[in-house]
Amino acid sequence: MKPVDGAPRVLVVWCPDWPDQGTEGARAFEQVVAAVEELCPRVEVLFPGACAIGARGPARYFGGEEVLARKIIDAVACRGFSCQAGVADGMFAARLAAQAETPDAALIVAPGGTPVFLAPQPVDTLEDPELADLLPRLGIRTLGEFAALPATEAGNRFGAQGALAHRLARGLDARPLVPRPPSADLSVSMEFDPPARQSEPVVFAAKALAEQMHAGLAAKGLACVRVQAQVTCADGQELTRLWRHDGLLSALAVAERVRWQLAGWPPGGGDAGGGDAGGRSSDEGIGVGGITLLRLVPDQLVRATGRQLGLWGDAVVSDRVARAALRVQAMLGHGSVVRPLLAGGRDPAEQVTPVPFGDAAEPALPSGRPWPGRLPAPAPATVHPVPLPARVIDASGAAVTVTGRALVSAPPARLSADGGPWLAVTSWAGPWPVTERWWRLEDARRRARFQLVADDGSAWLAAVQDGQWRIEASYD
Amino acid sequence: MGANATQGAELSFLRRAVVTSGEALPGHVVLSNEAVLPVLPALRGLLPGLRRGSVVAAGPWSLLCLALAAGASAAGAWCAVVGLPQLGVAAAAGAGLDPDRMLLVADPGAGWPQVVASLLDGCELVLLRPPDRPSAQVRRRIEATVRRFGGVVVVAGEWDGAQTRLSVTQQEWTGIGTGHGRLRARRVQVVADGRGGAAQPRAQWLWLPGPDGSVTAADEARAAHDPFWPEIRSTG
Repeated sequence: MKPVDGAPRVLVVWCPDWPDQGTEGARAFEQVVAAVEELCPRVEVLFPGACAIGARGPARYFGGEEVLARKIIDAVACRGFSCQAGVADGMFAARLAAQAETPDAALIVAPGGTPVFLAPQPVDTLEDPELADLLPRLGIRTLGEFAALPATEAGNRFGAQGALAHRLARGLDARPLVPRPPSADLSVSMEFDPPARQSEPVVFAAKALAEQMHAGLAAKGLACVRVQAQVTCADGQELTRLWRHDGLLSALAVAERVRWQLAGWPPGGGDAGGGDAGGRSSDEGIGVGGITLLRLVPDQLVRATGRQLGLWGDAVVSDRVARAALRVQAMLGHGSVVRPLLAGGRDPAEQVTPVPFGDAAEPALPSGRPWPGRLPAPAPATVHPVPLPARVIDASGAAVTVTGRALVSAPPARLSADGGPWLAVTSWAGPWPVTERWWRLEDARRRARFQLVADDGSAWLAAVQDGQWRIEASYD
Repeated sequence: MGANATQGAELSFLRRAVVTSGEALPGHVVLSNEAVLPVLPALRGLLPGLRRGSVVAAGPWSLLCLALAAGASAAGAWCAVVGLPQLGVAAAAGAGLDPDRMLLVADPGAGWPQVVASLLDGCELVLLRPPDRPSAQVRRRIEATVRRFGGVVVVAGEWDGAQTRLSVTQQEWTGIGTGHGRLRARRVQVVADGRGGAAQPRAQWLWLPGPDGSVTAADEARAAHDPFWPEIRSTG
């Protein structure tokens, strides 16, 4: 079977055992991407640890796919990383080729040879657990055997996912390569000479700059999710803020945000009146020596598709609320104003994910799933961000302990939270053992929770872990 | 931006129309430009509503502060919470606040009066725990801002010159024994007094919270049988 004409040649760079798939890992992988980008401008990051380029152009330029692969491996090695490369027709085969190689080597599947290369691979390389389980039971163990099925039958029998996997097995691409455009400098900046001592000229310049930035983005059919406004002072002080943009802000609105940013400038010298933060006039708020540079940088570029506001559903943030929240963000920073998102989890503190105003986010722990051991309603009104140290003693004055079999040493008689006065415990419940994530050493936790009611009517959620008592929340 | 603003205004008009048509929902009151923000039905014996432009002091931080804000939040008001990093959002949601319409500013810093003033521009309700004892000048400025925007500030703490003051005078947990049961509900007595027309102190017993976290009225006399204590009978 021959791949359809024009099936793209793809080169995949794969770093085996990339440590972290999270944000940290992505940031570290940026160095590898930068090394590859020096040779070929359009790189698509597949996941932290793997990236792909269209191989045709660069290979022709450098004089062959072998030479290109060699150059890339060397460039990545120069940055101190070990990688392996694979070239084939289509992303899927290229990735398998890269993973089949030994470190610092490349496997090149000749054009048209992809189905032959794929044929002996086991079906679980499709990374579809359902098919990987089902196909061997039907006697289909390799991609070659799967590819031999008629395409329509694969679609009928295994659904859309199956049809897609069948395309992969035949050496076709499930989806085309979407390369990341080279990060052209779309930022705009203006210098002020002499330095601007009042905010008005800066805000005025910001409007012109924003228009220029929007024109630059529009010419490329792009929009930005956030815009970064960077203000530099004559004395080297710098104030940078990220503002939500979503392709919705007008030039005037961007300028307005720069105005808020300047108004929220913390008093730089000691001469600014400390008591009355609101009465400061705009020219006193500017940093020492005036402003020398304003730069607007579009952040997180996306294709401009236009946007439709939701009519029903998620709470629409009215302009008034957004303005108030943005103004406070200008004063205290982006992360200072948050919207709470209810999430899953066993602890009252885990059950809320704070989302900075203007950001979209998923709950850190999924809600709507059973969390055995979560506290029953009613929820505590006070949840300490950091649990308070506490002491709980029995009638004889000895600290109350809990055995490995969740037996309490003696009924708790008195309680002192955070070094406070001793309170007599009138009623209590527990211990409720919580053993979390025992399969991961680094964040495994074993605690026993108690509810304690003191004689002054206060009620506490306490936990004992490694012999230490802590107040996690209180029912104020 | 101009087009967006018009669109936003139209949207909020449409939403209001929808809220009006959904008036049958129990306990939900439509927000309008009336002189008061609604409070939970259980609290109406203490105060008819939160008068716009007023400051309400609700004693030290407790669920009572959230209960005061819940009625207006459920009716569609935005509620900003300032200076309370320890706010239990699950408890707030249980009391009736809508987390989708909450803004939390955990640490407003030394410039908190300015933060409160900015928030009052956008939110009808600000729940505030002042990080320090406000001077008379700061207090007057905040009171003036509240009047100008027609919002309400609920203070967790003391506030000289508050129009209404509420406090919990007695509380008692039920559902928990010695080594068995669990916290199920709390019966509290809340006393309200204030200036002017609200000078007469009024008291009310509440379940704060009830067994599902909500706030409801409780009987004055303690029931002979605890309603939230599971009844256990032996059989056979």
